[in-house]
Amino acid sequence: MVLSVNAIIRGDLKRMRLWLIGTAVLGGLFLGGQVYEFTIFVVNDGLGFTTNVASSAFFALTGLHGVHVLVGVIMLLSVVALSFRRKMHAEAVEVVGLYWHFVDIVWVLIFTVVYLIP
Amino acid sequence: VSTDVAEVDDHSPVHPGEHHDHGPTDRQYFNIFFILVVLTALEVSTEWWPEDSRNIAVPVLLILMVIKFFLVALWFMHLKWDPALLKRTFYSGMVVAILVYAIALSAMNFWTDSGTTNFNDPPPVPPAPFCTTSQEPGPCPTD
Repeated sequence: MVLSVNAIIRGDLKRMRLWLIGTAVLGGLFLGGQVYEFTIFVVNDGLGFTTNVASSAFFALTGLHGVHVLVGVIMLLSVVALSFRRKMHAEAVEVVGLYWHFVDIVWVLIFTVVYLIP
Repeated sequence: VSTDVAEVDDHSPVHPGEHHDHGPTDRQYFNIFFILVVLTALEVSTEWWPEDSRNIAVPVLLILMVIKFFLVALWFMHLKWDPALLKRTFYSGMVVAILVYAIALSAMNFWTDSGTTNFNDPPPVPPAPFCTTSQEPGPCPTD
C-alpha cells in the first residue's frame, strides 16, 4: 500500500496501480481465509454467533474486521479504476492508505488477543 | 491509457518527480515489512513453546503486539513525519481508548472475577436440596 503512495508521489501511475492491485489481492486472500475459517466453525463445529459469549465476541470482532477489509479492498480497486478515468490526487491514495493501515493496525491487536494469547 | 506525469493533479500538495525529504523510501518500507514478518513469526512460534515457558508467552506477545502497532503507526501511517498537532491528537486518542478499555474491563470485574462466562460475579451457590451427609430430603438432622 505504502509503495503505491510513493509511486504516485513520483508520478509513476503504472507502479501505483500494480501495488494497489497487489494489496487488493492480498486483502482478498485474507477475506477468503476468513470465509474458510467461519465455514469450518459454523458447519463443522456448530459454533454460531449466539452459541456462547466467546463465539459472539469472536464472530463480532473478526467479522466486523472482515467487513472493514472488504471496504478497503473496494476502495483500493476504486482508486485503480479512477486512475484510468481522471487525474489522480496523491492525497487520495494516501487517505486510502491511512484507512488500510488503520484496518491493518486493528488486526495486529485482534490477532494477538483473539488468536495467540492462550 | 497514458501514465504521463501531466495526468497527476497540479493542485496536489505532492508533485510527481519532486524530491521529498519527509517520508520513508521504498527500501525503508521493505525493511519495516521484513521486521514485521520476523516479529509475527516470533509471535506464532509461541504456540510451540514448551509448557513451562508458557507463562512468559503472554507478556512477550503483548510486547510484540505493541512494537508491531507502533511500527505500523509510525512508518506505514507516517506518524513519525506528521506535525506535532497530529501526533498529540493520536496519542490523546490512544490514551482515552486505553482508559475506556480499562474501565470496561473493571466494570466486567475482569481484575477480581474468577472467570464466569457472562462477565459477572459468580452467583452464590444455592443451598443443597437435601442433606449431603444423610442423603435424606430436607436439612441435615441436628442431633
